[in-house]
Amino acid sequence: MTIRMDGIYAPSDDVVAREIEGELIIVPLVAGIGDMEDELYALNESGKAIWDRLDGERDLGGVVAALAQDYDAAPSEIGHDVLGLVEELVRRRMLVEAPAV
Amino acid sequence: MRPQPFDEPRLFVARAQELPLSGQALVELMRAVLARGVPFRFCARGWSMAPFIRDGDVITVSPFRHAQPGAGEVVAFVRPGAGKLVVHRVVARRGTASFIQGDSAPDHMDGIIPPENLLGRVTRIERNGHDVWLGLGPERYLIAWLSRTRLLIPLRAWLASWAKPWFRR
Repeated sequence: MTIRMDGIYAPSDDVVAREIEGELIIVPLVAGIGDMEDELYALNESGKAIWDRLDGERDLGGVVAALAQDYDAAPSEIGHDVLGLVEELVRRRMLVEAPAV
Repeated sequence: MRPQPFDEPRLFVARAQELPLSGQALVELMRAVLARGVPFRFCARGWSMAPFIRDGDVITVSPFRHAQPGAGEVVAFVRPGAGKLVVHRVVARRGTASFIQGDSAPDHMDGIIPPENLLGRVTRIERNGHDVWLGLGPERYLIAWLSRTRLLIPLRAWLASWAKPWFRR
């Protein structure tokens, strides 16, 4: 699986994500059920910042540029982190690659 | 203002019990899942629906879709004012209004719950890994009537006292 900087990604229809009490909670819809007795996922602040910008419209390069503007970090460093998280989220089927518009 | 540092992003995997989820958080997640048209499964807490739903039972709440709940159905709703998630039984219907009460809490009638506070209907109860059907089938009409007339708890007590000698043998 290759995650590309020009790829566009969006949350999968198979998850429900909600910001609750400052934390982003992701509930996978497994076999058509939102199951609180199964595994849930949470993202830390930086993870949430990336998730919030994965809107299915801008590519990862655009996401990195937006984060670099809002945070005190070099785009190369942020880019590495974004690729790592997106790869994990795609592998866990929480993100899907959106068709380029 | 200096921008904040960008920490390494992390994804945590957790069980619901490990996350500090308040009742309101559970309501929010349930609303979001049901709005997608899929059921929501979670662990029930409390004894107000005993013996049909017990503390620790895993219950599945399904969206209403088009039909509002009828008398006898067990529903999840948000208690007006308190914002608390409650799972109790509809004991009567008048128009669009649902009169709701816990099977084991006849003195604490939830009263009329507006339709917008109703979240979904309980369609499955699991206890120790097995399905429990008593309380959700056609007997629900009788349970609702007994609950409404405050006969459910005396009847349960009488049945328990009647059955006790048999279990002692």
